[in-house]
Amino acid sequence: MSDTGPALVSILRQGSYLVASVHTALDDTQMLRFQHDLVERIGTDRATGVIIDVAALDVLDSFGSMTLRRIAEMARLRGAETVIVGIQPDVAFAMVRLGMGPGEVPTALDLEEGLTYLNGHRDGQPGSADRPPRRPQRRP
Amino acid sequence: MSSGPSVDGSAQNAGLEAVERVLPVVRRVVGARVSDPHLAEDLVQETLLRIMTAWDRIEASMVEPYAIATARNVVATMWRDRDREARNRHRALDLSTPEAPEDQVVLGEEQAAICEALGRLGEQERTRLLAHEVSGQDTRSLAAEAGSSAGAVAAQLHRTRARLRVEYLLTMEPGPPPTEDCRPVLLALSGGSRRRQRDLGVGRHLLGCDFCARVAEPLLGRAEAREDELRVPVQGDADIVKARQAAREVAAKLGFAKTQTTLVATAVSEVARNIVRFAGRGEVLVETLSEPRAGVRVVARDAGPGMTNPQEALADGFSTYNGLGLGLPGARRLMDEFVLVSEPGRGTTVTMTKWLEED
Repeated sequence: MSDTGPALVSILRQGSYLVASVHTALDDTQMLRFQHDLVERIGTDRATGVIIDVAALDVLDSFGSMTLRRIAEMARLRGAETVIVGIQPDVAFAMVRLGMGPGEVPTALDLEEGLTYLNGHRDGQPGSADRPPRRPQRRP
Repeated sequence: MSSGPSVDGSAQNAGLEAVERVLPVVRRVVGARVSDPHLAEDLVQETLLRIMTAWDRIEASMVEPYAIATARNVVATMWRDRDREARNRHRALDLSTPEAPEDQVVLGEEQAAICEALGRLGEQERTRLLAHEVSGQDTRSLAAEAGSSAGAVAAQLHRTRARLRVEYLLTMEPGPPPTEDCRPVLLALSGGSRRRQRDLGVGRHLLGCDFCARVAEPLLGRAEAREDELRVPVQGDADIVKARQAAREVAAKLGFAKTQTTLVATAVSEVARNIVRFAGRGEVLVETLSEPRAGVRVVARDAGPGMTNPQEALADGFSTYNGLGLGLPGARRLMDEFVLVSEPGRGTTVTMTKWLEED
């Protein structure tokens, strides 16, 4: 993302999916840049699925969660399904205490589960994993 | 090299002849070992000079071998000298900087400023300070003269020094302090008394008063000697991350579990973001508490526009910038204690505490 120094985020292509990994704590500007880049890449790579790996994020506060929700919503409008993976247990605890979550964005434990989820979703049936990822009910 | 034994005319002619003979050989030997053409030419000249100097001692049949050996030696000597120079170069390094022309002027200005600052002190204060600091008279004998205790004299000297620092800094400024609060604030900073600084609201004053923020810069280090406190100036997005990492660090040092440090870091992230978004500039202070229990206190302070109705900002879903409206109420849920003080035009201060859970 940044023009100098090591990459803060990497977006890699895996088949028709994009795997975006956050490597370090991001500030708000970097978060917005990430959002912008990822939504761009969905178009250029013609991706149908996006996995966002946030395992390296130290904190997911209201802004971070909102940005993830927005990314997922924008990706959906661009025709790609988003799944967020790797939320750390203590980060999850803090998010619940803060009073928010990723909203309707599906989540999975790790990258593998995330891929299983996307595969299952595309075939119109649940993934073959023993523990299928949580799929929240869409509001009527 | 050049001051060899003098040679007579005929020998010189014979020498020149010989030089012509060995010149290609010497050139070849030196050229094979040294790539730089100028350096090679220098070495060739030196070799020839040596041959000429030793001409009358060399047998005619041995001239060429002698020339080759000499050329080799000259080259080897050159490399050895270079090696030695590189090895010992650091010995010649001179790190002391020469006195700059402006030093004298700065020195003069400082002397004038100190004199001026001393002049602004009271007569008795000045005499005592000079007696103690310059003449080296100890506090006990000073106390005996004044009829008080050594401790009282030491405390007074401490106050005098604090005032002298402030007066010195003010002398350096072109104008007088803009508000009446400035001088007491600077004195409190210079004295380093934390309680006095808190009573005066020094942190808030510094955020609001550019004059003091500038003048007090050298004094800030005096109060920050405490290890259990971190002050993070917040001016942009990147500082939000810095502030929450500082909070996490302090909490972890105190023995908080990772879950708890994440709660603190998230709360700090929320209040620091409010500073950036609404005030633009402020600070986050993280300190550890030991009374009544171990804990972390975070003070987020700005001198921004403030809020007309702080209660409204604490309600879930209230947002002025199209956010989730979870910032302040969320931070309140994350921490054990949460106090929001805000007034329009006077800025906002959020003080929140997380106690260490004992298990």
